[in-house]
Amino acid sequence: MSVQYQAVQWNRQKRIYDFVLVGVVTLYLLAFGAATKVLFPFVTEEILLLRAFGTAAFLLLHVILCIGPLCRLNPKFLPLLYNRRHAGVTCFLLALVHAVLVVATYHAGGDINPILSIFVSSPLTHSVAGVPFQPFGFFALVILFLLAATSHDFWLANLTAPAWKALHMTVYFAYALLVLHVTFGTLAGETSWFYVAAMAVGLLTVLGLHLASAQKELSIDSELQNRAADEFVDACAVADIPENRARIVCISGERVAIFKYERKISAVSNVCQHQNGPLGEGKIVAGCITCPWHGYQYVPKTGASPPPFVEKVPTFNVRVKNGRVWIDPKPNPAGSRAEPGLIET
Amino acid sequence: MNDDFYIGWETSAAPRIGKFVRAVVLILFVASISLALAFAMVQRSIGVSVFEWGMVKNFSGVLKLEPYPHLLVPRPGATGTQNNFSTYYLVAPFKFGLDRKKLSTLDGKLVSLQGTLIYRGNQTMVEALPDSIKAADAESPMLTGEETIQLGRQTLTGEIVDSKCFFGVMNPGQLLPHRACAIRCISGGIPPVLLVRQTNGTAICLLLVSPAGQPVNQQVLDLVAEPVQITGEVERQDELLILRADPKTILRIK
Repeated sequence: MSVQYQAVQWNRQKRIYDFVLVGVVTLYLLAFGAATKVLFPFVTEEILLLRAFGTAAFLLLHVILCIGPLCRLNPKFLPLLYNRRHAGVTCFLLALVHAVLVVATYHAGGDINPILSIFVSSPLTHSVAGVPFQPFGFFALVILFLLAATSHDFWLANLTAPAWKALHMTVYFAYALLVLHVTFGTLAGETSWFYVAAMAVGLLTVLGLHLASAQKELSIDSELQNRAADEFVDACAVADIPENRARIVCISGERVAIFKYERKISAVSNVCQHQNGPLGEGKIVAGCITCPWHGYQYVPKTGASPPPFVEKVPTFNVRVKNGRVWIDPKPNPAGSRAEPGLIET
Repeated sequence: MNDDFYIGWETSAAPRIGKFVRAVVLILFVASISLALAFAMVQRSIGVSVFEWGMVKNFSGVLKLEPYPHLLVPRPGATGTQNNFSTYYLVAPFKFGLDRKKLSTLDGKLVSLQGTLIYRGNQTMVEALPDSIKAADAESPMLTGEETIQLGRQTLTGEIVDSKCFFGVMNPGQLLPHRACAIRCISGGIPPVLLVRQTNGTAICLLLVSPAGQPVNQQVLDLVAEPVQITGEVERQDELLILRADPKTILRIK
C-alpha cells in the first residue's frame, strides 16, 4: 500500500484492467479511423486523427465520471474503480494528442503564435460563432493534465487526501468546459442529430447517476444529523449491522463506520486515508477493515494499518447496551486504540 | 446473504463479481465499436477535395497578381476563345499568401514555378514554393481569353472560407470548427472566398474583393465561417468568379 515509493504497484488485476482499457480505446480509434477513411476517402489524415482522439477522450471521460456513482449504487462496479486513475491518465493522453493535432493543424504556421491563436482567432461576434470553444478545450486540458500529473499516490501523500480530493474534484469543471467545447465546436460543424442526441444522453447519464447516488448518500446523512451531542449517542441497533460489515451513521456532521465482527463492535471514521474512500462500505477481511475502493486495511480497534503500512484513521469510543450501539461523538486521534464494545449474549 | 467483496490486490475477484465485470467489459467493447462506427458514419462535413501533399510538380504560365496571385496556364489546343487558360490560385506554404510586392516585376509575365496541387471541383490552386517562381525564357502568350464578363449586381448568401483549406488542404476546411484556422489563413494572405451552396447542393466559390478590386482579407476576419449575406457586383475572369463588395455592407445572418 504505502511503504515505499513505486511508480506503479502492479498486480494481476491492474494488468487486466489496463489490458481492457487499452483494448477498448484502441478498438474505438481503429474503428472510427477505418470507417471514416472508407466512407470519406478524401478526409485529411490530421482531421481524421484529431476527431478520433477527441471523441475517444470525451467518451472515456463520461465512463470515468460514471464509475463513481455506479459503485455507490451497486458495489459490483467496484472493479472498474480500482484502477480508475489509469483511465484518467489515458483520457488526458487522448485529449493531449487531440490538442496537439488541433494546434498543429488549425493554429500553427500562421502569422501569430499558435497558442495565442487559440485565444484570439475566435473573436467574439455576438453570435454562436463567436463563442470561443477552443479556449474551453484548452483550459479543460490544463485541468486534465493537473489531474493526471498528480494521480500518483506520491502526490496523494504529499498533498494530503482532502487537498488531493479537492483538486481531483475539478474534473467536473473540466467536464463542464468540455461540454461547452463540444457544443460550440463539433455540434456547430456537424449537423447530424445523432451527435446532439449522443451528447444529451451522455450529459443526462452523468447527471442522473450523480443525482441518484447523491440521493442515497443523503439518506445516510439525514438519519442521524440531529443527534450531535457531547455525550454518547444512540447510533443504531446491533442487529442492524451485518456480520463483518458496517453501518454508516452521521454524528456531529461526520460519517462514522460502525463495524460488527467476532461479537465485537468498533467504530472508525468513514473516510479512508488513502483516497477518502467509504470505509463503511468495506468489509472485515483477515481481521482488518478493508476499504472497498483500493483494499487499504485498518485494524478495527486502533484505526491503524497493520505493519509495515502507516495509514491511520480516527477511532470512536463505543458502548453496547441492551442491543444498542452507543458512540462517543468526539473522535480519538487517528490510530488511537479504542476498546471494542462487546456484544451481549 | 451474498457477501461478495472485491479487493483489487487479490489475485482474482469473487466469481459473481467476476461474471458481472466480464459482462460490463463486453458491453464496453461493443459500445466502443458501435459508437465509433456511428460517429464516423454520420459525419456530414467532409467533401471531395485533394491536396497532393508531398508531390511537388512544375508549373508554367502567366503570373497575374490582381486581385490575388494566380497563374494562367494555356490549355493545349486552345483556339483563342474564352477559357483558353486554366486558372490556378497561387498561395505560399502554411497559412500565407504569396508576397505580391516581391513578385511585382513578374506580373503579367510567363513564369515557371514548383508547387503542390490543391483542387476541389473546378477550383484549382497551387501551393507554390516562393523561391521557385522565376521568369521563363519564352515569351508570354497572348492573353486573348482573359476579358472580364460582368454578371451584374447580386445578393448572395453563404460562408466566407479561406480558399486554401476549403479547396483541399484540410477536409473539412469550413464551418465553425475550422474558423480559427480560416481566420489565420485569411489574415496571412490566403484569398477569402464566399462559398455559396446552391439549392441543388452544389457549391460555387466567389473571390471576395473590394469594389476597387483590392484584397479585403483584414476587413472580413470577424465574418469568417458564419452565414453571411453579401451584395455586390459579380464578374467572371476566365475561371475566376469575383464578387466586388464593400466589406462594411456584409450582413451576418443570425
